[in-house]
Amino acid sequence: MDCGSLGAGGGNARMRPSISTRYAICSLRRHLRRTILAILGIGLGSAVCLFMIAFVRGEGKMMLKAAAESGAGHLRVVPAQWPKTRENDLRLGDWEKIRDLMRDTEGVTAVTPHARTEGLLAFGTRVAGVEILGVDPVTEQKTNRLVRNIPEGHYLRAGALGTTVIGRALAERLDVEIDDLLMITVAKADGEMSGAMLRIVGLAQTGSEELDSGICHVNLEDVESLTGRAGAADLTAMVANPKRLGHLVRNLGEKLSDDCAVVTWEEIMPELASGVKVDETWTRLTVGIVMIVIFLGIMSAQLAAVLERRREFAVLSAVGMRGGRLIRVMLAEGIVLGLFGSVLGLVLGLPAAYYVATKGIDFTKMYGGADLAVSNVLFDPVFKGDFGWWLIPLAFELALTATILSSLYPAWFAMRTDPATALRAEQ
Amino acid sequence: MTNETLVKAEDVTKVYNTGKIEVHALTGVTLEVHQGDLMAIVGPSGSGKTTFLNLVGALDIATGGQLTVLGNDVSTMSKRRRADLRLHALGFVFQAYNLVPVLTARENVEFVLELQGIGGERAWRATEILDQLGLGEFADRRPNEMSGGQQQRVAVARAVASKPQLVLADEPTANLDGENAEILLSMMRRLNREQNITFIFSTHDPRVVAHARRVVTLVDGRVAKDQTKTPGPLSGAPAESEEK
Repeated sequence: MDCGSLGAGGGNARMRPSISTRYAICSLRRHLRRTILAILGIGLGSAVCLFMIAFVRGEGKMMLKAAAESGAGHLRVVPAQWPKTRENDLRLGDWEKIRDLMRDTEGVTAVTPHARTEGLLAFGTRVAGVEILGVDPVTEQKTNRLVRNIPEGHYLRAGALGTTVIGRALAERLDVEIDDLLMITVAKADGEMSGAMLRIVGLAQTGSEELDSGICHVNLEDVESLTGRAGAADLTAMVANPKRLGHLVRNLGEKLSDDCAVVTWEEIMPELASGVKVDETWTRLTVGIVMIVIFLGIMSAQLAAVLERRREFAVLSAVGMRGGRLIRVMLAEGIVLGLFGSVLGLVLGLPAAYYVATKGIDFTKMYGGADLAVSNVLFDPVFKGDFGWWLIPLAFELALTATILSSLYPAWFAMRTDPATALRAEQ
Repeated sequence: MTNETLVKAEDVTKVYNTGKIEVHALTGVTLEVHQGDLMAIVGPSGSGKTTFLNLVGALDIATGGQLTVLGNDVSTMSKRRRADLRLHALGFVFQAYNLVPVLTARENVEFVLELQGIGGERAWRATEILDQLGLGEFADRRPNEMSGGQQQRVAVARAVASKPQLVLADEPTANLDGENAEILLSMMRRLNREQNITFIFSTHDPRVVAHARRVVTLVDGRVAKDQTKTPGPLSGAPAESEEK
């Protein structure tokens, strides 16, 4: 910016910035190299923060999506005691009515019922203990990506009782194929053992051996008859906008009776939720450290500028400049640095954030080819960041906060300059 | 020209504490400065000239005695009120010019007007002041594009821009050659005569003394001599004097 052009000729007074502002801007030009270095520091720091925030935000979204689509859903309606006991035996009263109510709620995109029971699968001499999931075949595949890929056979069909879909790894463990009959044994509500023969109609393949060895889906009615407990244990819902989850939970909670509770994915999968929170905390910490480094760097540069200009401030004070205006001048210098730093931060940070949002970072090699399944959730090994207009105000917020805060101490220091002492010292 | 008392110093002392040593910069200074005075304070280095100007300019506070500037007891004024007094009633000219280096001559003058809260007309007024003082051609130059004499004349323009009653000039000609010193002193005398602005100079320079109507000599922080005289012609020739 040419300081001369800012005020030269005394042009249109309405269009000209105040002399204080021009003084602030022109003062930054005095040590152009230092100013450029400061802007570079702010810009680089902002870019790093933008990139990290965008990446972790995208990672969080991916984790939520993966968790929701791995059968947990975004939210669930469960019996009121479930959050405390987490017992599979509990059932919802009149679950079909609740399901219809959930489907009619704005923002809910899909609802599917579940009933779980622990059981033993046996084929010949081979036995495996699994969690058997009773589902509605019509809606389950829409909400659960673990059973979308059925390379052999097909998924469960409504009304086709006595059938099952199991994971490929489980099939290999039991040495079974499509159309084989599996012996299933579960404990009934009255404590008696109950058994049935289930025909394998499909083998699911998720890409994760761990997940594949735990999949055993049957029709909801089969779980009802095997356990002697009627109805669904939960109603799992997907929502259009996970950001409005809190609002939806409150909305549903008001509509439902007291014997039901609405829980979110964070309550369903607390270990995953805490993982996401740990990531966010680390990001905040790292962003905080970067911001502190910027803060100290700018403060040091501003303080050096103040010390160099003590005589100037003394003269300005002598001609009647009050401390408040001096602080405004110093803050204006900080704001100018912050604005340029923000723009540089955007220039450097936006392409990086865009790249990671579109191409992502592939962690396949880092995991040595192992699948990315954690807590029954299948993750995509390519992590993608988030990208949007929100990055622009964030860049300005980060840089301006750092520069304005870091200008406060030098401004206060400048304000405290004693004109008589400063003028005497220079003489 | 009225004879209003602008500055009244009664037994004013100023002591600086530099660690364990006390430096008595002023000891019992008593004098009055009247509207329209063109006064030179002379004396050897360390005699208290600059200290006296700082006290009158409300940049510093006396350790003892009473100092009244334009009816205000400076020692009881808040920092903010002292800043307002400087802004609205006092002007300063320093030995080293002390213009803001990143601003043009006009902007340096405008700055004071802006501090006074003058808005749209300040550029015009700054230009007018510079023109009146024959500095119009330097209006858009920055200090580093002007000679020392030109800078000091702009400093005088800045000092009088706020229409002060009293201008304090600390060794204003110390860095100027003879010709520039004469131009500057003539300008100040004209302002004194035409606008009734009171000037107090601290100086070692006999050229300044020659232009003064009153000469106060400080020695070891005390008033040793207080003379009134007829200022010499602009050539700087000394004039007859009358000791108080």
